Amino acid sequence: MKLNYAKTGSILFLMVFGFLLAPIPSHAAIDTSSYIVENLKADDIPDDDGSGLVLSWKPLPKEKRIIEYRIYRGVSPDSLFYHGKVDVNVKTGVAGDVMYYYDSGYNRFVDIQSPRKLKKEKQQSDNSPLFGRLPRDLEVTGPQLTNYRLLGVIMEKDFLYKNTKIEITEDDETEVYAGLKLRHFIYILKKLRADKEYYYTVIAVTESRKYMPHAEPAIGIPIDNSPEKIQQLYSVYVEDQTRLQFEWIRSLFTDDQSNHSLYLVKKIDLNKFNAYVEEQQKAEMDPEFETTLENPAQLIYQRYCGYPYTPDNTVAVDIIDGKIINDKHNIDVEVGNIEDYVAVFSLQDRAGYETFSDPSLFDIVNSVDLPKISNEWTVEDRKSDKGNYNSIYWEKPTVFLTNCTYLNDEKTKILVNYDIYKNVKYDKVKNVYFTIFDKSGNKITTINEFYQDSKLKITLKEPSNRISFEMRVVVNGDSGEDQLFTQDLIFNPDVKSLQPGVLFLNGEEVNKYTYSVYKNNYSNEEWRLSKNTLGAQRGIVDNVSYRSIIYKGVSKFDAKKGLFMVSPTFNVRMDDELKNNVGTNLYAEEVAKSIENYEKEIAEYIASKDTLETEAEIANADDAIEYYQAQIDLTENDPILQKAATFKNNKARIKFLEKVKNIARRSFKYKMVKTDGEAHFAISEVYTTDNVAKLPFDESARETYPTLGKDHFYPIPNWFQADKLPALIATFIFGFMVLFMIRQAKSGKELYIRPIAGIDEIDNAIGRATEMGKPILFVPGLSGITDVATLAGLSILGRVAKKAAEYDTKILVPVRDYIVLPIAQEVVKEAHYEAGRPDSHDKNSVFFITTAQFAFVAGVNGVMIREKTATNFYMGMFWAEALIMTETGNTTGAIQIAGTDAVTQIPFFITTCDYTLIGEELYAASAYLAREPLQLGTLKASDYTKFVILAFVVIGTLLSTAHATFLINAFPEK
Amino acid sequence: MKRQIPLIIIITLGFMFVAHSFIPHKISTDFFDWYQDWVKAVSPFAVSLGIMSLFMVHGTKIKRKISNWQYSVITLAGLVFTAFAGFMWGTQSGTPYMWLFENVQMPMSATMFALLAFYIASAAYKAFRARSAEATVLLIAAIIVMLGQVPLGAMISKWIPESSTWILNVPNLAAKRAIMIGVGLGMTATSLKILLGIERTYLGGGD
Repeated sequence: MKLNYAKTGSILFLMVFGFLLAPIPSHAAIDTSSYIVENLKADDIPDDDGSGLVLSWKPLPKEKRIIEYRIYRGVSPDSLFYHGKVDVNVKTGVAGDVMYYYDSGYNRFVDIQSPRKLKKEKQQSDNSPLFGRLPRDLEVTGPQLTNYRLLGVIMEKDFLYKNTKIEITEDDETEVYAGLKLRHFIYILKKLRADKEYYYTVIAVTESRKYMPHAEPAIGIPIDNSPEKIQQLYSVYVEDQTRLQFEWIRSLFTDDQSNHSLYLVKKIDLNKFNAYVEEQQKAEMDPEFETTLENPAQLIYQRYCGYPYTPDNTVAVDIIDGKIINDKHNIDVEVGNIEDYVAVFSLQDRAGYETFSDPSLFDIVNSVDLPKISNEWTVEDRKSDKGNYNSIYWEKPTVFLTNCTYLNDEKTKILVNYDIYKNVKYDKVKNVYFTIFDKSGNKITTINEFYQDSKLKITLKEPSNRISFEMRVVVNGDSGEDQLFTQDLIFNPDVKSLQPGVLFLNGEEVNKYTYSVYKNNYSNEEWRLSKNTLGAQRGIVDNVSYRSIIYKGVSKFDAKKGLFMVSPTFNVRMDDELKNNVGTNLYAEEVAKSIENYEKEIAEYIASKDTLETEAEIANADDAIEYYQAQIDLTENDPILQKAATFKNNKARIKFLEKVKNIARRSFKYKMVKTDGEAHFAISEVYTTDNVAKLPFDESARETYPTLGKDHFYPIPNWFQADKLPALIATFIFGFMVLFMIRQAKSGKELYIRPIAGIDEIDNAIGRATEMGKPILFVPGLSGITDVATLAGLSILGRVAKKAAEYDTKILVPVRDYIVLPIAQEVVKEAHYEAGRPDSHDKNSVFFITTAQFAFVAGVNGVMIREKTATNFYMGMFWAEALIMTETGNTTGAIQIAGTDAVTQIPFFITTCDYTLIGEELYAASAYLAREPLQLGTLKASDYTKFVILAFVVIGTLLSTAHATFLINAFPEK
Repeated sequence: MKRQIPLIIIITLGFMFVAHSFIPHKISTDFFDWYQDWVKAVSPFAVSLGIMSLFMVHGTKIKRKISNWQYSVITLAGLVFTAFAGFMWGTQSGTPYMWLFENVQMPMSATMFALLAFYIASAAYKAFRARSAEATVLLIAAIIVMLGQVPLGAMISKWIPESSTWILNVPNLAAKRAIMIGVGLGMTATSLKILLGIERTYLGGGD
């Protein structure tokens, strides 16, 4: 059969769309009952807070071509909503006999991306209980609030300013809520409720997206369990300081933790303690079980740990005069001989379940056996940032070997790589001195790395399996004499090479210890982890985010107004003793009512005390009375709330509170812990300074926060990025030169511009197309309009199009970027108008092909071949497609001129095009073609600036060779 | 006015973004983020311009029965059907849209990319013909670099891989960096010309 265009087109059409016919017969033959998932079960997840179930089912064989399993959940078997899916590789299927899906923790409830209305699931029968995702429609979603524990994640600004006051009266009690639209929540997350029944089903979806029938729903009941046991507790007794030190490995599941507690157990009481723990476990399994035993362990430390941060895992408890005393937790424990005790750590969850660690024996040491933490550490605002980082740095830079490779077969030449950990104070290293010894201790050589390229080339007399290094770092203002690093290169037979050994600093193993930096602000009582670092590191930056998020439980809704309701109360900071949160209400008028409520609560507790029987109940009532009294005192007397109460306008009041709250949230104090991970640690003092930095807001804030700037550090936003100063100076010099050269050119001074063959040939190339009566092809690169190369390409297009219009030659401009398209169209149109040939302008001469890289090339190649273009221009940014285009142009016999700043594509253009504008020539072309003073001035200025750069390069090279690195150091490192 | 308003916008925003690169302050970064959000919101509307252009160009070809107009039918049918498939059945795995992507577009793109290997061979042949002293140097350098990349080079002589590395790391890198410096300056000069309103060709109509 002889192919013509019509036949070829028809075959291609059938090839592309013929697949539509293929699935129809295959669908008809499917027996859907064999696609129903079997063995579906929903089991409780252990060690959690009663919010987790694990689903399991038998996956279908891979011959069934399943692409995903979709999971549906509900609180009754007749309404199950889409919850999630598990993707499956169609080709390989599922390897095991059982598939699992964990429904645990907080997951998506409803958000702005949820569907507007509830929809039945696709391809299911009319009586199917399956529905799509829960919709935004509150009539449907609202009633589901009671079935889950819901958490609203809200941007602080939305909570403070976009709320609607809602009053709900039930049983003569009026409660006030803040109503928020769904769009004001970042997310509304849900968790399963403990001890509640949930129904699940699963459907299989085939490769052709056929939704199969669902499995019989399975019931699951999540149960609240005691927390996960920690892996290890380490206990140390520092004899000369009579101090107990504890460190533990944090557990993985941290969502449901309320308290960390440490106990001392007498060794003679261990059996009693184990019996107590066993009894507690039985009580957890069986709520009817009555406990009889008392905990023989003595509580010596307790703290709240329910914040969404990583808490400190090191604790030091001092024994003073044989006693451990802590008023806050009513601890008063007499401690005898420490060898008679073991320590136990416990994690308590919000439901009161407690998990104890294995008992840990004390390692008795003296303070000299503990690591030493240097006093030489600093906290300061990080320079040149937007005000979201504090810098914490300590000691002097560390140098260490990282790798070694042989450079010859004789193994007598080696390349050793090294690295340096610097910090903010010592950011420029002048010299690093390496003294190298063989295994007998004989000196091989000394190397002074005045320019640190992280490489040392060393020649050995003979191959060696151990080489020793002594290293010293000289930094600005310090000779490094007091810091001698030693490290060996030791032959490793496994990799058949020398490998770096342990690094020592003045004889102490550097990486035996790690540094942990902890921080604490005015809003929380407890310290939280900022960062852990290796012992060799010398600084960290601590992120202090601007983004402030409020977490609120969501319990009610108003379907008519489309509002979810949350509590209108919020915390501003903690009181000065870090005992109570200073809280208030979004609505000023509710503050007074809250005092009335507190008083009412106190009266009720006082009245109830007469009827209480046990000491524990009375103690609880006393605690509650104390708490409510504290709240009344704070509301009435706290200076922040007092000042807030003076605002008549509630918006101004909230604005003031927001500002104060932000200062509390973003001001941190810091401490450091140097530890071996096994409770041998040293804790620094909280960092304080007398150099109080200027605040980026009203200095009166110091009245509220007197320690601000002294021990609490608020990151300051900067108006200039100091490390870009050389770039700014260079920009000004360049700008000045441009203006100067423009003035020169305007004054009539002849500016010599070196000839560029590619540009000179542009006119000839256009002339050639005119003579041949064939079109010109102009490709303005594949990049977007934000690329300067594209702008340069479009400028050249303007000149070429004008010339082409003058000669009445057709110009074709295929475009890949749809934002470039209208600009290119406008450029060509205006060029025709300027040339006085609007009649010759064809609006379809600039056309979009596709954004797909290789499809675009195919399109351009097609244009070249079909239109038989005489001249091809490629001006702009190109990638791998460049060669395919230019080789095709070459075979069609077109004259080709290319210009690009893509270094990797320049060789291809040089090889296949007649003329190539290399790098900057692309940018010069427009000016070159225009031959105007303004344009030539910039061109000349570029040339002079290049000369200045070249001078810097030459001078820098010469100075560096002479060990003078000040010029290199004057420029910022990247 | 048609030219002045865009110029004022370009110059004002241009200088603001130059300033932004030296100002790390929150006000500056917030403004930049806000601008980027708007770019993300506005740019999808430009897709319609591309689609209109495709319809105009290919519609004209079909209407006028210009030679090879059948390909235009396929192009437009492909465009319409792919969009229809995406809107109708979604873009997940297993849908007609994804089928088209995986079984039509991907193999075709791969085919085009595969052609590159042959074009490189052809271009290498052209480039490495020893027609002049410079071309001979290029040829020798190319042979060394190519041999240095394969085990055969090391088998011939241990100096070949080392020479290959040296060629790549010293003269090649030096030339690349020289080009990059020129490109950097060229970009700055072009940006400056645009900011100062000296270069206006991209707005249409030369100066």
